Amino acid sequence: MKKKRSKNFTAGAILTGVMLLFVLVGFFWTPYDPETMDKSVKLAGVSFAHPMGCDNFGRDILSRVLKGSGTTFLVAVGTVAIGTLCGTVLGAFTGYFGGIVDEVFMRINDALFAFPSILLGLVFISLLGSGKYNVIVALGIAFVPSFARIVRGEFIRCKNLDYVRSAKLAGAGDLRIMFVHILPNILTVLSSSVMIGFNNAVLAEAGMSYLGIGVQPPDASLGRMLSEAQTYLFSAPGYALFPGIVLILMVLGFSLLSEGLKE
Amino acid sequence: MRAKALKKILLASVCTALTIALGACAGDKASDTSQITIGIPQDIEDSLDPHKAVAAGTEEILFNMFEGLVKPDSDGNLVDALAESHTMSEDGKVYTFSLRSGVKFHDGSLVTAEDVKYSLDRCADTSNGDPLVPAFSAVESVEILDENTVQLTLKEPDKEFLAYMDVAIIPASNKKPETNPIGTGPYKFVSRSPQENFIMERFEDYWGAPAHIDRVELKIIANADAIVTSLNGGSIDMFARVSQSMTQQLSGDFEVLEGTMNLVQAMYLNNLVPPFNDVRVRQALCYAVDPQEIMDIISDGKGTQLGSSMFPAFGKYYMEELNDLYETDLDKAKELLAQAGYPNGFSFTLTVPSNYQQHIDTAQVVAEQLKRINVEAKINLIEWESWVSDVYAGRNFEATVVGLDASSLTAPALLDRFNSMAGKNFINFSSDAYDEAYAKAQAATDDAEKTQYYKECERILAEEAANVYIQDLPCFVALNKKYAGYEFYPLYVQDFSKLYLVEE
Amino acid sequence: MKYFAKKLAGLIATLLVVSFLVFLAFAVIPGDPATAMLGTEATPARVEALREELGLNAPLIERYAKWIADFVRGDMGTSYSYHMAVTEMIADKIPVTLALTAISFFLIVVISIPLGITCARYMDGALDHIIVVANQVIMAVPPFFSGILITLVFGLVLHLFTPGGYVSYRTDWARFLGYMFFPALAIALPKIAMSTKLLRTSVLSEMKADYVRTAYSRGNGTRAVLYRHVLKNALIPVVTFLGMALSDMVAGSIIVEQVFNVPGLGRILLTSISNRDYPVVQAIIVCIAFLVILINFLVDLLYKLVDPRITME
Repeated sequence: MKKKRSKNFTAGAILTGVMLLFVLVGFFWTPYDPETMDKSVKLAGVSFAHPMGCDNFGRDILSRVLKGSGTTFLVAVGTVAIGTLCGTVLGAFTGYFGGIVDEVFMRINDALFAFPSILLGLVFISLLGSGKYNVIVALGIAFVPSFARIVRGEFIRCKNLDYVRSAKLAGAGDLRIMFVHILPNILTVLSSSVMIGFNNAVLAEAGMSYLGIGVQPPDASLGRMLSEAQTYLFSAPGYALFPGIVLILMVLGFSLLSEGLKE
Repeated sequence: MRAKALKKILLASVCTALTIALGACAGDKASDTSQITIGIPQDIEDSLDPHKAVAAGTEEILFNMFEGLVKPDSDGNLVDALAESHTMSEDGKVYTFSLRSGVKFHDGSLVTAEDVKYSLDRCADTSNGDPLVPAFSAVESVEILDENTVQLTLKEPDKEFLAYMDVAIIPASNKKPETNPIGTGPYKFVSRSPQENFIMERFEDYWGAPAHIDRVELKIIANADAIVTSLNGGSIDMFARVSQSMTQQLSGDFEVLEGTMNLVQAMYLNNLVPPFNDVRVRQALCYAVDPQEIMDIISDGKGTQLGSSMFPAFGKYYMEELNDLYETDLDKAKELLAQAGYPNGFSFTLTVPSNYQQHIDTAQVVAEQLKRINVEAKINLIEWESWVSDVYAGRNFEATVVGLDASSLTAPALLDRFNSMAGKNFINFSSDAYDEAYAKAQAATDDAEKTQYYKECERILAEEAANVYIQDLPCFVALNKKYAGYEFYPLYVQDFSKLYLVEE
Repeated sequence: MKYFAKKLAGLIATLLVVSFLVFLAFAVIPGDPATAMLGTEATPARVEALREELGLNAPLIERYAKWIADFVRGDMGTSYSYHMAVTEMIADKIPVTLALTAISFFLIVVISIPLGITCARYMDGALDHIIVVANQVIMAVPPFFSGILITLVFGLVLHLFTPGGYVSYRTDWARFLGYMFFPALAIALPKIAMSTKLLRTSVLSEMKADYVRTAYSRGNGTRAVLYRHVLKNALIPVVTFLGMALSDMVAGSIIVEQVFNVPGLGRILLTSISNRDYPVVQAIIVCIAFLVILINFLVDLLYKLVDPRITME
């Protein structure tokens, strides 16, 4: 088994590295302007000039995929950042102090948890309106319950451990114990949920953009491209396939990496 | 033992799954009633009450179930429907209709003069503040002269009022017109299932030429991207407004009929919010947007360029020369922006209803063109329902790309809304010159004079750059070759009664 | 008995919290149902009259209390946009979403369990390697993309089904199921992969347990040990996973419904949110929450069936 794990990790690391590079390149350079339309190459197939072909406006698909994966990546990072930050703070306080606040909070949290994150995101989006940054906020909030739950559980487990007790005896304040003593000890658990959270965020963003309530055109987004490509599925399957494959590779890299890390 | 049992259960389950899947593929309908399945882009989730329905998408379907005293034919002329004949007094103040006898409602009852009076009074009813049909505020009275004659008197003479007499006649006895529509049209309502379908059946006792196809199922395809797969896959036989690029994706089973949509597609600007309250900004946008390029990109050059709120189907009112008012000129546009105090451009939100692919496509090209003068249009797709409530009714928007159609072939149908006080004036256009010209057009009794004033209105709209006018869209109807008989109307209606099955 | 009472109380509490949160959310969402209903005909006077008629001017708590009272009596109100009873609207669509979830659940179980066992049995064989790699990849495919691929391959190329050709269960049960098989497959695929992987790992770790050695030493063959002893214990984490997956699948169905043009709860939910059609949204969300909680409860029961060591306390 040992050998296998490292295989997962290596494959994941390489794939993630490549995808990160891809995203990074997309931030600074694309072969064409991803939004410039050119009627002479509408739905053009794969060629040297356009390695992934062109869409129905004659926009270069490679450029749009580059740009779109950047958007997707950005949204996922933002979502996870909000989710982790708020979730950790909430989970830490409720888990550490317990009591009535904890009870109430966990009831609400459980209720929200019974709710798929995309559904929550949807409600928040109708509250905030669509667009890239609103998607981040909406999904971020929607991700809080799951992080809070994990962190709370860990804090409850840790708060009675010996090292916490001795710190207390040494006169450390609650805040210090929470964030200096306990937090570093749960980082491993947290980091693997961050990875999983990242993947869920990528999928959720793509899903919402697919439904038309996420990132708005002409901003490129992988989910939106997939939605638009559906019309041309038969005659230009590449239009759907390339963004789809990039999306899969992105998620695949991270899930391999998180699995490698876990062990 | 247990192991075997478990395995058996699993095996049995797999087999069941496969049987169901395969069985379903083989199943095919064998019925002797003719039927057609037609895709529509939005649910008919309006009220089914013809006087209260709001969306054009609902109205074009209700056209098959309801009729007025007169109705438009496929050339746009008003012909007698429930009226056998009509006369207008010399001054255009009194209209007299003699009713066609023996016409039945879908519930089997006869259309009486009382029903006609009830329907017209209902449209003019002001107990809720404004009349249900705004134009009916001009109605003075509706009187029953005898059991076959109804007379309508207006407060002011209006020789064009006949155009509004296509409002549906409904039975006075119907207590639930919102969910149980009863009319006199060639098709009658059967059922609707939210977000799924809307089913109509041929009305056997129709007074005129009966419909050919027994059953019409309207299937809601809210996801514009699924239209082509649904057509090619065979789950719908017809879709009334597909885009040029979609038509190229269709299989050989389909015939693509080409007409015009008869609407004014434009980037409508909220004339009240800055920066669009400055005429120079609006003109700058007009100089920057190139309708020809839009048509080239989204429909291979098909479509008719427009320069004001009027499309060619109107004949005498249409002014082609207004198209050249803003010949694309980026320098001029930038200069105007600089004069207005936006030398570095600005950004605004461009709201587009998400169910109309043609408008989304146009909006994307427009956004791209505006970049050339450093103006950023942030596209915001919203559902049609939100568009109606926020943009149209709420007037809470900066700019939007949609197409406005005409409910009748009279100039007011398109021009009335730009009156500064008009309830439908969602762009908040306000021009004294316009109001004056429009009032003169209304008051004029001589046709040439009337036309001249309406043209004046169009010119003002264009010169004031009330909106960035783009085009009258080409209309592509995808129809399975098993069917024929589709007719284009110069109005936003779908006439299903003319469709018939082609004998093989 | 005590167990059921406790579960029931939890269920009711959660439903109350959920419904109140939705109420709250809609109180702060911009947009007014009265304006949406009147559409292009809205004038301030008419909007105000309609708001009064709908009871929208009452304080939030009062409206909520009224809603609960009606709900308990089985009245979910009337849809603002369709002018139909919400109960009627939803009753029509629940079977669709239920069927979708049930079929995909069924697929997960009948495919992943044999596959997982096979993998574990022939560990490190060629088949195992292929499945392990395939699993990794499939897990990364979002359901709507597999939906698009399924449409392309099974629908447009192989003509096994008609894309968009949904048939209502009221019209024809068999064709309904036949159509739903494909969206269900799209939802199930990533879950199948995950559950296969989980079962494989879990069987492998159980195989190392003491009781397995004892069983072998009694002269049992691999097959017998696997099916008679190991499988039961190995299934526990899978059952847990399936329970969690179910609530996910209800959400996944919203998107997949869009891909396959299936008029289920998700479609209505989407439009009702944008219509500000609160009665419908409220009812659907409570229904989904109820479904999710009910499923979790059933999973708990299943636990007991699989593992008698777990008691229901």
